[in-house]
Amino acid sequence: MAKTLQLNLITPQKQLLNAVAVDFVALPALEGELGVLPGHIPMIVQLGYGSLRYKQDGKEEEFAVLGGFAEILHESVNVFAEGAGLADEIDEEEEKQKIKRAKESLSKKDADIDFELAEIEIKQALTRMKVKKRHLG
Amino acid sequence: MESLRDIRQNIKAIRSTQQIMQTMKMISNARIRKAQEAMDNARPFAKKMLEMVADLKQEVLALPQETQDRESWASRLFVNKTGDENKIALVVITGDKGLCGSFNAVLLRAAVAFLKENQGKEISVFCIGKKGKDFISRLRHKNIRIVYESVGIFPKVEYVHAELLGEAILKEYFEKNLSSVTLLYNDFKSMGSQRLAQTKILPFAVDTEIKTADEHEFLFEPGIKEIFKILVPRLIKANMFRVLLESQAANLAATMNAMDAASKNAGEIADALGVKLNKVRQTGITNEILDIVNGAEALNG
Repeated sequence: MAKTLQLNLITPQKQLLNAVAVDFVALPALEGELGVLPGHIPMIVQLGYGSLRYKQDGKEEEFAVLGGFAEILHESVNVFAEGAGLADEIDEEEEKQKIKRAKESLSKKDADIDFELAEIEIKQALTRMKVKKRHLG
Repeated sequence: MESLRDIRQNIKAIRSTQQIMQTMKMISNARIRKAQEAMDNARPFAKKMLEMVADLKQEVLALPQETQDRESWASRLFVNKTGDENKIALVVITGDKGLCGSFNAVLLRAAVAFLKENQGKEISVFCIGKKGKDFISRLRHKNIRIVYESVGIFPKVEYVHAELLGEAILKEYFEKNLSSVTLLYNDFKSMGSQRLAQTKILPFAVDTEIKTADEHEFLFEPGIKEIFKILVPRLIKANMFRVLLESQAANLAATMNAMDAASKNAGEIADALGVKLNKVRQTGITNEILDIVNGAEALNG
């Protein structure tokens, strides 16, 4: 049995991680965090908004994941995220701005505004900020 | 014999056309790098996603059918026994503009061949790109219907465009009970060449035979049906996104090559005209000298 997992993190726009050998992955499943160790039973999970963490040689990295799927196999994990970003690269100021803009457009009550989209935007920004905060500890 | 002025004007016109073509080439050149990068980045997602669906095919087909005589939603995506044989769809992805060599012509020729082959069937057409839309709408055939069109998305394709297209395709597939959906586009092979690609995107043609050695029994969280309901649209969109990016890059490459060849040709013509201009001018000068000499001799004589 393999001692490590091959982790792939892919979004439609970009492949963020390509077959990185990791010791442990935590995925943001819909019903809570799901920890995966090498040799996990094959599984397909739907992901919610949250953080994806993995350990590689004792070091921990963290990504914000915004929905999608993960395919877990014995020796690899493929994460198909709608959107994702490295926690370290998240800019809190920018996210705050995004939330502000989205809230502004929500408060305008204009018929043209896509409320769903604005809400998703806020949710995404909040997730990113939460992940960032957690990551900084 | 053309006058000197005519030739000069001609040369000037050709040179300025050449300049435009060179600029267009440079613009494509600048854009293509970005397009190529986007395309390379989008490839793994679509590819891995297809692999995952191939893994899942067995599980889905093993699912109990919803009713006896109707196929379930999920198995229609793979086997599709109940689709109406006389209803199919074609997705054509062309460019918005010309000036790109045979890029659009090749596609449209293939589209016509496809439509001829399937004469008598009801065909729903999805048009991406102005050239394809204009062409198909001019056909005016009672069996050919444009159900979706999207113009002006190149060269700035975003995931949203793929989402809209994917949704439209799935909707048509299930609502109209189509038997298949075929996709026609130009694949980006290299900077120098594009390849016409014609593939059936629905029902999924996944080959399960390869995977038998490594048979997985999957757990599903939440359930297989829920997962599949969300996964399939996602897969189609990811695939459409990849295809749109491919044709975007291919289109830019085609434009670049066409403009390169055209500006070279323009240069050659301008050079040839330059030679002609010199000849005409020289003839004029020689004639004038002859006149003077003749006149002088007549006086002396």
